[in-house]
Amino acid sequence: MTAAAVAPTGSRQHLWLGLSALPLCVLAVTVLFGWHVAVGARSVPLGTVFQALLHFDPSQFDHIIVRQLRLPRAVIAVLVGASLAVAGALLQGVTRNPLAEPHILGLMAGASFAVVMVIGVFNWLGGFWLPWVAAAGALMAALVVWLIAQWAPGGATPLTLTLAGAAMTAFLTALISVAHLLNQDSFEQLRVWLVGSLAGSGRELVWVALPWLGFALALAMLLANKVTILAMGDEVALGLGVRTGWLKIQALVCVVALTAGSVALAGPLAFVGLVIPHAVRLFFGSDYRWIVPYSALIGAGYLLGVDIIARLILRPQEIATGIVTALVGAPLFIHLVRQRAR
Amino acid sequence: MAKTSPTAYWTVRLANERLALRLPRQPVLASVGLLLALLALLALSLMLGSYSMSPAEVWQVLKGLHAESDRAIVVWEFRFPRTLVAALVGAMLAMSGAALQNVTRNGLADPALVGISQGAGLAVVTLTIVWPQLPGAWYPWAAFCGSLIVAALIQGLSWNRQGGSSIRFILMGIGMAAFITAITSALLTYGDVQRALSALAWLSGSLHTAGWPDVQMLAVWLVVLMPLALGLSRAMAALQMGEDTAVGLGVSARRVRYALISVAVALAAIATAVVGPLGFVGLIAPHAARRLARSGVGLHLLLTATLGAFLVMLADLLGRVLFAPIQIPAGLVTAIIGVPFFVVLLHRAQAKTTF
Repeated sequence: MTAAAVAPTGSRQHLWLGLSALPLCVLAVTVLFGWHVAVGARSVPLGTVFQALLHFDPSQFDHIIVRQLRLPRAVIAVLVGASLAVAGALLQGVTRNPLAEPHILGLMAGASFAVVMVIGVFNWLGGFWLPWVAAAGALMAALVVWLIAQWAPGGATPLTLTLAGAAMTAFLTALISVAHLLNQDSFEQLRVWLVGSLAGSGRELVWVALPWLGFALALAMLLANKVTILAMGDEVALGLGVRTGWLKIQALVCVVALTAGSVALAGPLAFVGLVIPHAVRLFFGSDYRWIVPYSALIGAGYLLGVDIIARLILRPQEIATGIVTALVGAPLFIHLVRQRAR
Repeated sequence: MAKTSPTAYWTVRLANERLALRLPRQPVLASVGLLLALLALLALSLMLGSYSMSPAEVWQVLKGLHAESDRAIVVWEFRFPRTLVAALVGAMLAMSGAALQNVTRNGLADPALVGISQGAGLAVVTLTIVWPQLPGAWYPWAAFCGSLIVAALIQGLSWNRQGGSSIRFILMGIGMAAFITAITSALLTYGDVQRALSALAWLSGSLHTAGWPDVQMLAVWLVVLMPLALGLSRAMAALQMGEDTAVGLGVSARRVRYALISVAVALAAIATAVVGPLGFVGLIAPHAARRLARSGVGLHLLLTATLGAFLVMLADLLGRVLFAPIQIPAGLVTAIIGVPFFVVLLHRAQAKTTF
């Protein structure tokens, strides 16, 4: 087993920690899930929530609220949180850039732009093709950002990638605003979505995005082993027999699929992919076989928690979830810059 | 300047050779050309719009004929102040960018990229939503305070035991900008819908509400701040050679840095208070001015200001005319023009100075 040979020292400790923390994390996510469903403009007792989930009774009003309104939102939070966290983890590993994240690198702006353009031009909302459109946009944005960073002196360093991503985001955001002004009617419904919100999307979208996210999460788990090796450097990875080019393409496909599915469901949610992998790394070191699954788990819990906060602070109004993730994530970004950038 | 041949200068001798000026030919020609272009753009801005006029008609209105006609109202009440605000704001943002790039020794610094404009934006949005009854004269001060706090935070955070770093400064600024934008959006969702909508229009960098009071205020501030910036230009020239050299040349590097940051922040904040965050002007203008004509720091600052004025006037005109009757805010136009420029700058950035 090559992976065992290159696993960082203390991997036995991580194994023990990883296995023992698993039930705890699953429990935490389950509790958060229940709480998320219970909280809202009308509070539903936790007992009723689990009753509605397990023994659904269509004659009870609370059960209908839980099943029809709250449950899809909670499921979306879980899916999106897990996907974004894993996407961030993969990006950080493959680009060896602690600041990498789908939003910072401009992928989300690309996906949003593509979706907005298609909806604005063809005046058509949602449906089966939405993740495909988002994926095309994210892929284009990722490639352009990478090319810009490559083109700069010194190649694709964390700095050039981040700057190129920021520039890409600024550009596409301006174009989205222009499109919005030109065609106000069809864009009005996208306003909330563009800040990143879990409120708007319906249940049918979950079924559209689910195959994407499921496929990409599974692929991420398969790649995790090699990403650990790649994170040590291209030469090391080549020497250990990893086909780095092919691996990077696979990782890119995976990240694009995760981003596209998440954006289609919840709009651009910033900084989730930055916060979670770093938090996970604090406990589980640099082995992506642990980082990827735990990022998914903790990312799901995190987004559930953030969405609870977003709905509780100004009850009965709610803040867009994307605002809360940015408020939490941006200070961490600043901290990382302070520590790592020379 | 060693490379330039003697013919690149005009020498002006005044008062029986007691006073002589040596004027570099290229920058002087460039400034004259820019001023002419500015005038042409002004004329175009007055003519074009949803109510088009011929040059002769505009000229008549400007001379004071037909004082009570619709044309006079369109020109004097709407287009003229708006164009002047665009010019003044452009000049201020451009000078702010030049000063910021000098202090951080980073060619990619721009007040809107590193969060300084966003700080001003947050302060103004807070004022409009939480204390809407306050008069407009408070806005520049609030904007200045907001920007200053952000600038101090970024500067303080990017300073550590190894000294300052321009990479940290700019990345920190990007993070800070994201953070402040989130707070601003939260305020907008919280506030009253009508006020939030007016704040939202302002946040995309629009000049459509500009009037004569804005022109007055901007002009007063520019008259105060421009001599300050020009007075600092000698010290800026020394700082460009590096901090040690500057200290050796007798410049109090610390004091100059604080003064420059304050001037840059004040310029950006006041411009932002009037028209909202207008990105990339402070980034483009200094570089374009440098390519237009090589010159000393003082003259470069003047060229930068003129170019900035030109840019924002052009952006406003384009936004007004391209999709008429819909108006695209100037801030969006500058962003769309500015980003490709930024990418080229990123490509050109010298590894040794910027990274």
